[in-house]
Amino acid sequence: MVERIEDLNLPNTVIARLIKESLPESANVSKEARAAIARAASVFAIFVTSSSTALAHKQNHKTITAKDILQTLTELDFESFVPSLTQDLEAYRKMVKEKKESKANKKEASTNDNASATEAVLEEATE
Amino acid sequence: MSGSKTVALERQPNANTLLPPSRVRTIMKSSMDTGLITNEVLFLMTKCTEMFVQHLAREAHAKHGGGDTLKYEQLSQLVNKEKNLEFLLQIVPEKIRVYQFKEMLRLNRSRDGDDDDDDDDSGSGSESEE
Repeated sequence: MVERIEDLNLPNTVIARLIKESLPESANVSKEARAAIARAASVFAIFVTSSSTALAHKQNHKTITAKDILQTLTELDFESFVPSLTQDLEAYRKMVKEKKESKANKKEASTNDNASATEAVLEEATE
Repeated sequence: MSGSKTVALERQPNANTLLPPSRVRTIMKSSMDTGLITNEVLFLMTKCTEMFVQHLAREAHAKHGGGDTLKYEQLSQLVNKEKNLEFLLQIVPEKIRVYQFKEMLRLNRSRDGDDDDDDDDSGSGSESEE
């Protein structure tokens, strides 16, 4: 669980980078503004989480799903986030799938390895 | 990622996160009855928190004066104005001057006699500068 309140802070450097990316190149950010945005982001995460949890519970689900979050964002008036997030989620799912497959392939390759080393080498070379 | 800074609106779908998911998980867990958090949900929350940071910065900068430095006041003004940022009113409050605060106290005290005062209006006395 959360032991110290600082555990809820998001890293300053990353926040600063995200802000910089969204402003014109010449723009600066006051320290106070950056701190406020960081705080706001933590609260946003808590807000969306608890709203999604409530939504999941309403449907008699114990845990939140990606769908719950997207629906919650729409309900909270952040529907402008949904298209990009949906695309990101697809990219993420694809990445996870590819990782799994390449892991499975490796496993297969290593068992082949024991059977006949030369064959495995040949197989890898053609891939 | 290429060297040129692209505007976030025309961004490519991205499966990587900048914010640390472990920290986002801690934040999510701090909300009492959060159940299990799947990796997919964690990814989505991390991503939408990133988007929120950029949304906040961009809107505050664009809608409240621009300028070359993003200031706290721009943020608090935005929070005050946008309905969907209402949940931040306590987190990013408008700063007030000491004399305004004293005035508020004075008004509250003088209104203590009648029962029908509502607290929502207590700040409006200091907003007549525009």
